[in-house]
Amino acid sequence: MSLETSNIREAPHRAPAGDPNSGPLLDPVFLHKLEQLELVSRKIFVGRMKGERKSRRRGSSVEFAEHRNYTTGDDIRHIDWNVYGRLDKLFLKLFLEEEDLHVYTVLDTSLSMDFGTPTKLRYGKQVAAALAFIGLVNHDRVLVDTFSARLEQGLHGIRGRSQMWRVVQYLEKLQPTGASDLTAACREFAIRHAGKGVVVVISDFLDKRGYQEALRYLLARNMDIYVVHVLSQEEVNPELVGDLRLVDAEDGDSAEITISAPLLKWYKDTLNAFVGGLKEWCTSRGITYIFTTNQYPFDKLILNYLRERGLVK
Amino acid sequence: MGGLWNWIGGLSSPIELSTPLGLAAWSVLAGVPVGIIALYFLKLRRRPVRVPSTLLWQRSLEDLHVNSLFQRLRRNLLLFLQLLAVALTMLALAGPQMKGSGSTGQRYVLMIDNSASMSATDVPPSRLARAKEAAQKVVDAMGSGDLAMVIAFSDTAKVVSNYTGDRSILAKRIESIAPTQAATSLREGLQVAAGLANPSKQIGEGVVASSVITPKLFIYTDGGFSDVEGFSLGNLEPEVVVIGPPPPAYEPPAEIRPNAPADEQGRVRNSSDNVAIVALQSRRDEEKADVYQIFGRVHNFRGEEAVTEAQLYRHAVDRPGDPGELVDAIALKIPPQTDQAFKFDLTDPGLAPFEVRLTVKDALPVDDRAFTVVGTTRKAQVLAVTSGNRYLIDTLKTPLVEERADVAVMTPDEARAEAAASEIRGGRYDLILYDGVRPDAPPQANTLYFGALPPGPAYEKAKDVQQPVILDWDIGHPMMQYIRDLSLVFVASARIVEPPAGSRNLIESNQGPLAFLAPREGFTDAVVTFPLIDGDVPNTTWFRYISFPLFVLNSIQALGNVREGGGDETARPGQPVVLHAETIGKEIAVDSAARPGVRVARSPQGTFIYQDADKTGMYLARWEPSGRLPFAVNLFDFRESDLAPRGLVPDGTPETMQESYKIKIGYNPVTGTGKAPQVQKDIWWYFALLALGVLLVEWYIYNRRVYI
Repeated sequence: MSLETSNIREAPHRAPAGDPNSGPLLDPVFLHKLEQLELVSRKIFVGRMKGERKSRRRGSSVEFAEHRNYTTGDDIRHIDWNVYGRLDKLFLKLFLEEEDLHVYTVLDTSLSMDFGTPTKLRYGKQVAAALAFIGLVNHDRVLVDTFSARLEQGLHGIRGRSQMWRVVQYLEKLQPTGASDLTAACREFAIRHAGKGVVVVISDFLDKRGYQEALRYLLARNMDIYVVHVLSQEEVNPELVGDLRLVDAEDGDSAEITISAPLLKWYKDTLNAFVGGLKEWCTSRGITYIFTTNQYPFDKLILNYLRERGLVK
Repeated sequence: MGGLWNWIGGLSSPIELSTPLGLAAWSVLAGVPVGIIALYFLKLRRRPVRVPSTLLWQRSLEDLHVNSLFQRLRRNLLLFLQLLAVALTMLALAGPQMKGSGSTGQRYVLMIDNSASMSATDVPPSRLARAKEAAQKVVDAMGSGDLAMVIAFSDTAKVVSNYTGDRSILAKRIESIAPTQAATSLREGLQVAAGLANPSKQIGEGVVASSVITPKLFIYTDGGFSDVEGFSLGNLEPEVVVIGPPPPAYEPPAEIRPNAPADEQGRVRNSSDNVAIVALQSRRDEEKADVYQIFGRVHNFRGEEAVTEAQLYRHAVDRPGDPGELVDAIALKIPPQTDQAFKFDLTDPGLAPFEVRLTVKDALPVDDRAFTVVGTTRKAQVLAVTSGNRYLIDTLKTPLVEERADVAVMTPDEARAEAAASEIRGGRYDLILYDGVRPDAPPQANTLYFGALPPGPAYEKAKDVQQPVILDWDIGHPMMQYIRDLSLVFVASARIVEPPAGSRNLIESNQGPLAFLAPREGFTDAVVTFPLIDGDVPNTTWFRYISFPLFVLNSIQALGNVREGGGDETARPGQPVVLHAETIGKEIAVDSAARPGVRVARSPQGTFIYQDADKTGMYLARWEPSGRLPFAVNLFDFRESDLAPRGLVPDGTPETMQESYKIKIGYNPVTGTGKAPQVQKDIWWYFALLALGVLLVEWYIYNRRVYI
């Protein structure tokens, strides 16, 4: 961090010691919430969501799809001998191929995430953990990547509930560092991960270079993209007073402001325009946009909000 | 809030200021807004705060920069509020007052009479003390925003305190007013009050006051002055507070008193507890040359007969204020409200100061003593510049002239010599006679020319005439006193000139003025246009007649500054005394009982003007080597001695007579009464409250981020 932090007052929304930020990610309450999520998500899967994630591709699987005439070159192992015995014709038995679902989670770990109570990063970790847990429970392939200035290689190819501890361990270790470069991270991500899947980007999107290009890289990969936009309560409703020099936590840029009613109004208008612009940009391109603040309980977000938005199925 | 609404309604009224702060405090105060602005420029170290990103803030600022001036103003809202608060505080400290329907600030002009009569003790402890008390009450009742000015007046007026709202200063200044022994002139005081009561600007101590407010004028006096006629008070509202015993019940006036001053004639007058010497003079007895007479007049102002004794004391010349020795005494029995004359005869006392003292006990002691000087106090210093005119020189050697003048005779050449010339320039002589001689430059003295014209362009156009016939002469002038036989005088030739402007012709002939008086820079040139002798031959027959020595003697008397005894001219307390000292020195010393050895410098006219004669008594002017000039200062003011307060209408006075009791200022009779100043209100605290309110708003804005 290049900033001289000594004479810079800690942001009022920085978490004091001893509150949710400093505790272990896997505290009992959190685990309890995850358990609940498991049950709920299973119920959802068993219920109305069944089969929706089945691949359109035919393959070798246990789930029968249909029959078709044998042609030369087909694998004789797939001939339905029972049908041949009855009809004396060669039919192939086709099965639905069950695909591995790749659940990618891309978590912003830049310095700007280190604000709020709890910090946006911790909130993001919780969301990421919850999503990973759900993915693991459903035997999806879970991948967790993080990025700040560039994409960091994270956990790859974890499968099964038993791997949850790795996820938690990994997330625990994450520390806020550096400036965020969403575009670079997304480009790298797109290069690395060619396969289809679900991408959940958890970030505050406070990147001065914009988010459009970054999300276009993901769109180009034809993935199901989910954007979780996390802002802290202090960003939504700043409680600043007086004559201030605002210092950007990431690049050290400063803005001299004197808090006044019109300025706050302008700020809120700008914030609304920013959030609304991101949302509109996403929805118009088939990206599911979810806005949340660090004050919104993440389990509720997962359960209700994500379900409504179709992220959890 | 009602008060505030009244105040807003009264905004059309002028606001006047009264501040308790001095100039120094104000200059410090003036630095406060400057300091605030400077602090804002020095800024306002912005508190650094770390935020996740300035992205949104920068965008907001960009938006706001579209109208950045407006934004800048808004950003400085707190500055403006602070300046407003300071400005209001300063306004409050300036002590604004408003006059309007008596509900707001008031201005007072307190005129306190400290003339001689105010020293009277008929209202204990003295009238002046009572007047000060009454004035002090007005000051005590003043609202803190009110302003008052204090003027002490006797024959002159003195501003004791300029407009101020500081009551302690006012009290101190009022207390400092000392009694004088001077006469009273209300006009003097009113002029000062009218001039200063509504200044558009006041310099120095005091407060700048607007010119529209009507001040309340309180005059504390005993009414011992003549009506002030033809005086416009302007916007002053006079209220005469008469100090003195209440008048007795009304009685119809008896007769008109012959001795009262002209404007007192026919006035109803009340008695008062005073017996006063109203005149005292000393003269040489016309018949017996070695006998001096001191005669004077005593007036009894009481309602009953006064029995007293006039005691004559002789004082030492050199010790003004010594007790003196009793020389003579006369018993006096004075009927009520009348005069009694007295006379002392003294056989050749030499130069000596005398005092007449009345033994009576009355309310005003200052007029129970009177002073005079017996003996020729001063001889005229005369220089005759002549080339040996026997007639003129003989005329200057008569006993009468020798008694009244020291005459020096010089030829024209001697007069031009350096020693004599410097004496002439230095004002050594009172009168210089030029007999057929014209000096190069006018001397520093009065002059009398015979057959010569004074130097100067005014006398260029002279013409010679032969045998002018004297037609008329001005017997009203002192120089022509007792001159009756000029019609017999023959004049052979004369050099006649048109007298300059301001001249007075003394002798007229058929061909022009033969003698005239011309003023010159405080001196007088007397010019007789015909010469006395022409060569060795007399030019005129004037020597043969008694009128010639009389004319010369009159000239020496009139132009030579002769003073004989305690004669006609009387110095009054508080007024400057003009002293003619026979010295060429630059200064003289004047001794009085209170202050010996006061140095007095020569005035441009060559006289010495003594300004400190503020008490009655004997004074002595002395100069090197042995010059002495005692002079007396006396009250001799009938009005001051008349202690009956004027301006209060006695009970039972018929309507028609009431006017005569009232004091008239301008053309308006003013009844003397009046206490209880109006209710006043300050408005400074409105400003103070506003300033407090602004501060609260600022605090609220700062803390609550509630913006206008």
